[in-house]
Amino acid sequence: MINRIFCLIASICLVLLMFNGCSNSSENSENKRTSTDPYSSTVYAMDTVMELTVYGNEDILEKSEDLIYELESKFSVTDTESDIYNINHNSGGAVSPDTDELLKLALTLCERSEGALDISIYPVVQAWGFTSGENRIPSEAELEELLRLVDYRAVSVDENNNVTLAPGMEIDLGSVAKGYTGNRLVELLSENGVTNAVLNLGGNVHVIGSKPNGEAWKVAVTDPSGEGYAGMLKVVDKAVITSGGYERFFEQDGVRYHHIIDPTTGYPANNDFLSVTVIGSNGAVCDALSTALFVMGPDRATEFWKKSDDFEAIFITSEGISITEGLEGVFSPLGNYQNEKVTVLYRD
Amino acid sequence: MKKNLLIGICITIFLIGVIGIIWVLLPQHGTEVNIVQDGVILYQFDLSTTKDQTIDIEYDGRINTVQIENGKIRVLDADCPDHTCVRMGWLESGTLPIVCLPNHLIIQFVDTDESIDAVAK
Repeated sequence: MINRIFCLIASICLVLLMFNGCSNSSENSENKRTSTDPYSSTVYAMDTVMELTVYGNEDILEKSEDLIYELESKFSVTDTESDIYNINHNSGGAVSPDTDELLKLALTLCERSEGALDISIYPVVQAWGFTSGENRIPSEAELEELLRLVDYRAVSVDENNNVTLAPGMEIDLGSVAKGYTGNRLVELLSENGVTNAVLNLGGNVHVIGSKPNGEAWKVAVTDPSGEGYAGMLKVVDKAVITSGGYERFFEQDGVRYHHIIDPTTGYPANNDFLSVTVIGSNGAVCDALSTALFVMGPDRATEFWKKSDDFEAIFITSEGISITEGLEGVFSPLGNYQNEKVTVLYRD
Repeated sequence: MKKNLLIGICITIFLIGVIGIIWVLLPQHGTEVNIVQDGVILYQFDLSTTKDQTIDIEYDGRINTVQIENGKIRVLDADCPDHTCVRMGWLESGTLPIVCLPNHLIIQFVDTDESIDAVAK
């Protein structure tokens, strides 16, 4: 009997030791994780909420915030002091070097996407009420009239940062401004010795390096149904930017109208895409292309990706998820998509 | 009487322990694996999206051939003396990795803690 009790006690000790071992190891990894402290800041700018988390350097947060506000004051379409407001209301004018750089970059992306992205779509977006929140369906005649003014090729920038627009034309850099701001923040932080950071500019995610413990950042992609996550990416030194019709939309007579307008029709892009996520090193390129690919639709977007070498993409349609080959082993489906097959797109 | 109570308590604690062991050893793992050699992560795969392939991993002139097929991973062939890693077959347990001691190789499921750092939307 004594023997049996001894055996039992020995087993219990063993079990306790095992659990103790487990909890110890997780404590150790906790310690590693906090070896550099994270500093966070929330910034309300560019019509959205931005969360900046930087490891090891607290002072740089204030400079980052200043940079965001400074860029916002130049790119805003509504701020009467901004470069963009000025050129929209005077069919052109001189702009700051920042606006000049962003505008030129935006124009190359409009061209690269063959007009699927068009920064001069702004008057049409306004007509739909997406800028004011007073949504309405414009008449065909109204759209036809407005579309005459939509042509990024009518925007010119000379070597002295002077911009010229066709009369009546208005531009909005909203489709690239956040991505560009992310690039500038990454630049600022890197110059100041930050090696680990995650910046979420209203859903546009930029990560610097890896987590302090050496693991890749885990960036979730929103389920276009609006509930939970469709999947998760493990990324290092990348921008992850999603465009989807689920973000801003209104419904009328049972039809849903979202805010991503196809520059050729003047109507919300109408194809099988529920969302497009673009992953790459250049945030402005990812930002612009997520919108452009969403407008293109699955077939054209896939062809476009095959011709490109500066980004990877996640396409979500009602059929499921497709990822480009570079994301194999990097992306894992979650939630409603967890047990669905993920299609991998290859270049050849 | 007192002795019986003591045995009763011991048995209860023991049973909790056994349940605990089963819980720990159950295959609670996702689909992500990594291949580690001398503490360095050589490869990281999500088995649910990785295409079928074989990878040769060298250590000190000896080679382990790792195979990924139908969302599973194993050591197909190895130059090591004992071949324990090959005999372990497909990686199934979340807690018991495939290990090749002579070649310092570990194939394991990654910690399934899915804490998200940021959400793209």
